[in-house]
Amino acid sequence: MRALQYVSMLFVIIPLTALIVCSLIKRSRQNAAFYLLSAFAAAQVGLALYGLMLFNSLNISEYSFGFHITQAVADVFTLKPASLVMLLCIGLVSFTSLLVAYKTMPANKKLSYLRLLSALIIGMNGIVLVNDLFTMYLFIEIIGISSFVLISTTKTEEGLESAFIYLVMSSLASIMLLTGLAFIFMRTGSLKFEYLIAINNTSAEVSQNALTYLSYILVISGLLIKTGAVPFHSWLPDAHQSADTSVSVLLSGIVIKAAGVYCLMRVTDIFGNLYAIRLSLAILGVITIAVGAMFALHQNHFKRILAYSSVSQMGYMLLGISAGGILGFIGTMLHIFNHAVFKSTLFTNAAALHEEVHTLDIDKLGGLQKQMPITATTSLIAFLSTAGIPPLSGFWSKLLIIIALWKANFIGFAAAALVLSIFTAAYFLRLQMNVFWGQTPEHLQSIKEVKGTIRFAEIMLTIITIAVGLGFPFILLFLEASGII
Amino acid sequence: MINALFDIISNNMLLIFILLPAFVGLIMLFIRKRFAIQLAVLLLSSIINLIAAYTLFASESFSYVIPFASFGLDIVLVSNELSSLFIMLVAAMFLFVCLYSAFYLKHKKQFSVFMLYMYISLAMLNGAILSDSLGIMLFFWEGLLCTLLGMLLINNTSKPKAAIKALVLSGTADLLLMLGIILTAYQAKTMLINEITPIKIQGFVPTLGFFCMLFGAIGKAGSMPFHSWIPEAANDATTPFLVSFPGALEKLAGFYLAVVVTTKLYDLRPHSTISNIVMTIGVLSLLFAVSMALIQKDMKRLLSYHAISQVGYMVLGIGSGLPIGIAGAVFHMLNNAVFKSCLYMCAGSIESQTSTTDLKKFSGVGKCMPITSICFTICGLAIAGVPPFCGFFSKELLFDAALESNIVFYIGALIGAFMTAVSFLKMGRAAFFGKLKLPEEKKISESEAGMLVPMIALSIICIIFGVFNTLPLDTLINKGLMFEKSFSGWPHSILLVVISLVVLCIAVLDHLYGSKKSGSALNAADHIHYAPVLKTIYSIAERGYFDLYNQMNALFNVFAKICVMFERAVSFTYDTIAVNAALLPGKVMRRYHNGSLGRYLFAALCGVVIIILIFIAVLV
Repeated sequence: MRALQYVSMLFVIIPLTALIVCSLIKRSRQNAAFYLLSAFAAAQVGLALYGLMLFNSLNISEYSFGFHITQAVADVFTLKPASLVMLLCIGLVSFTSLLVAYKTMPANKKLSYLRLLSALIIGMNGIVLVNDLFTMYLFIEIIGISSFVLISTTKTEEGLESAFIYLVMSSLASIMLLTGLAFIFMRTGSLKFEYLIAINNTSAEVSQNALTYLSYILVISGLLIKTGAVPFHSWLPDAHQSADTSVSVLLSGIVIKAAGVYCLMRVTDIFGNLYAIRLSLAILGVITIAVGAMFALHQNHFKRILAYSSVSQMGYMLLGISAGGILGFIGTMLHIFNHAVFKSTLFTNAAALHEEVHTLDIDKLGGLQKQMPITATTSLIAFLSTAGIPPLSGFWSKLLIIIALWKANFIGFAAAALVLSIFTAAYFLRLQMNVFWGQTPEHLQSIKEVKGTIRFAEIMLTIITIAVGLGFPFILLFLEASGII
Repeated sequence: MINALFDIISNNMLLIFILLPAFVGLIMLFIRKRFAIQLAVLLLSSIINLIAAYTLFASESFSYVIPFASFGLDIVLVSNELSSLFIMLVAAMFLFVCLYSAFYLKHKKQFSVFMLYMYISLAMLNGAILSDSLGIMLFFWEGLLCTLLGMLLINNTSKPKAAIKALVLSGTADLLLMLGIILTAYQAKTMLINEITPIKIQGFVPTLGFFCMLFGAIGKAGSMPFHSWIPEAANDATTPFLVSFPGALEKLAGFYLAVVVTTKLYDLRPHSTISNIVMTIGVLSLLFAVSMALIQKDMKRLLSYHAISQVGYMVLGIGSGLPIGIAGAVFHMLNNAVFKSCLYMCAGSIESQTSTTDLKKFSGVGKCMPITSICFTICGLAIAGVPPFCGFFSKELLFDAALESNIVFYIGALIGAFMTAVSFLKMGRAAFFGKLKLPEEKKISESEAGMLVPMIALSIICIIFGVFNTLPLDTLINKGLMFEKSFSGWPHSILLVVISLVVLCIAVLDHLYGSKKSGSALNAADHIHYAPVLKTIYSIAERGYFDLYNQMNALFNVFAKICVMFERAVSFTYDTIAVNAALLPGKVMRRYHNGSLGRYLFAALCGVVIIILIFIAVLV
């Protein structure tokens, strides 16, 4: 228990320390800060894994903690296995982002990137640890603000414009969230998760009036904006495309999931798994998958395709949430993890292309398989995983989500999810063919494979994709043996 | 320490049968150009495999479950009487054929790749025999098809006619098998063979399921109508491939499944319509292949047709549904594996000296290659069914079963025996006896010892299985099939024996007549070939009209023409309509995605409205 106490506190202390160090350090020593933050991110991955092992050996389902000055204050944070998985993803994606940024970030922007990243990690770590709605909202805002600035660090016209759009859309989300929370508070007098769950599950006499439902709608819509689900997605492609690639890795890899999907999952649970909520998420999920994929088919910018692919994949997570049940939950968590891994791989590939070829317009690329074999192969594996080809990791999460949908009697949605996977394959095949396969144009003959941290990140993430895919049957067996599924 | 190791081995024994060969195969790929090491690894691994197989056969039946993922995807391996018997037979045959192949391919560049395929095939075979789940079995089965294709491609990559044919035909058989498995599992509500109680073959679905599975099984063994790639392979593939696959291993695999289908999965009643249909297929397969064999002038091609005809005998036996028929069929399968691979080995032995197996180009090599000729004679007598060699006893059992079912089948089987004898007399005399003739002037001698050892061993087995037939029939087959009645010893019906012997005598007389008439042993069968009616039939057969592959091609050509119109419509739908349908929404929506913040906010509000509408729809 003591070990768990330290581990859980470290999740809060580490990013805070990072932020303080990065704020105090001099520009001349920014590389030291870089290494420190990378070490912190790696440490977070290790701690999250250690935490999962602790949870398993202690046989508990959650652990509440806080930083008490007096005993009167209640615990503000709760650690759960699900939050540990999220913390793992946060650590992993931040680490990847740092590896990419080491090469792509201009020297004069590095320090501010590091500071903002620390703030972002604070926000994300906080969001997966909180146990009341208002604190959750606060952390969402922290994430939002650090994201705007991260997107606009490049200070290009596009970057600023898309950051502005994100700002406006986020304010809309904030308004909705805050209004929704106010309504809920008006009715119940508390925003604690435990309290709300207790109310929604036991006391039917609390009137489920129109105002309650309105509050649910507002909260969910607000979170859907953060998720980037269609039709709330408009900010996402611009933001992901125009930001520096290391920032895109973060945004696509983890931010939309921590601030969006994960919160949605918690909120759905807290609101008592209402059928109306689940149905809305399922319908929007299918729309999101379809529309995201259709947009992705039309794009000519490598990162923009990836951004729309993220939108499309969010749809699968929404479907997973809507399925509910333990299978849906595990499927969604696994898809969050998988998406974090393979989308980071693909964005890292984008960074590699940008570093070596200096363009991401897929019409100007082509036949790079020979010149950049590692990038091409890692991209192919990530794309196969996204499309859900066994035995890669993406297959298992999609399978679980589809089985969960089937069991939840959402058979039509399960079929739709299955059929729409074809689109995933279609847009990635187009990408792969245009960029890596076929004849190499004259001007690309002299391109070399990317070196250093980016190559390392590509290989590391691909190994994770394959290893998780091959090892997941055993995780399933373990879950079955411990009676979870 | 040793005990612990022993425990681990005995606990995971069934897995060893799959993993060990696969591993050895990979090792083989990396040892190049050191024949002594290659041979040592080969001998060691095959002997370990054989010993392990024997322990399995001697021990009680047990099962081994490898949990894999959830949702009932476990891999279940089972060692029971039947599967351990077949594992042992495969292991024994593998030792011989592998030894022969090693010496045949010595210092050739295909050696490593061929051995890799051989060992992977062994792993797949063991897996297919051991797996209790039909689905997992199918996986191994398809794996076997892959190695088959690979082996056929080794020699001939530029125009792989036999390989494509084998892929198409075996693939079709496997497709039937897959369908059969689905139907069987649908009826039995389980995939596990041990949990299935034999299904009664009544009504449409059980009949279809039975035939699909049986055709899949005997198709693997090379029965009609999935046979025609084997004679092609005689031209295209290396001799070790013929020795191992059409000769021995594939028969074992296919026949194991056939026995499982007829005894464990489905309840095949003797004298029923289904039984008669299966026996008819057997007889037709037998007669067709043996008459094609009669007119062949190339040793390997002739043997390949016999490889098909012998399957006909086995199908005949198993289709009868009688214990005596099934025991006879399994015995004949075992004998066939022994003498057919030995015969292929003899052909290979001649080929290694004369570099041809075309009987028109050489003759009378018997004096130069005495051991080969003795082995060939023994196995030839065995396949013709001359007492006291093994083939005689298994054929008598089959004749018995055929007669008990219907006299028509018996007569068919007798005609088959007659033609087998005639064709072997012709081949044996032409190849080994008479005046020495070679395609080119050079001295030939006996093949090297390594190739002769397996040939001699197999010939001795031919005699032992005949003279002491309690050994195979009682100790092996009856234990494996769990029959109580013993079929060993001298055939119980003297009349049948006399009839068989008379048929053999007629065959000898016919041969003498034929060789006198045509003036040479090689053309001894010409009077049958060019007999009034048969001539036409043969010319039709020679042109490939009885070849399922050609028929399929022809059928597909007609079908294709009809399909062209449809195909155009379909491709128009896919290429134009579907693509545009998929692209159009994106195109339209893209216009709205132009960076105008107002539109974005409007879209978001639309989203809120959608959610509100869903809430209203659900709640009101």
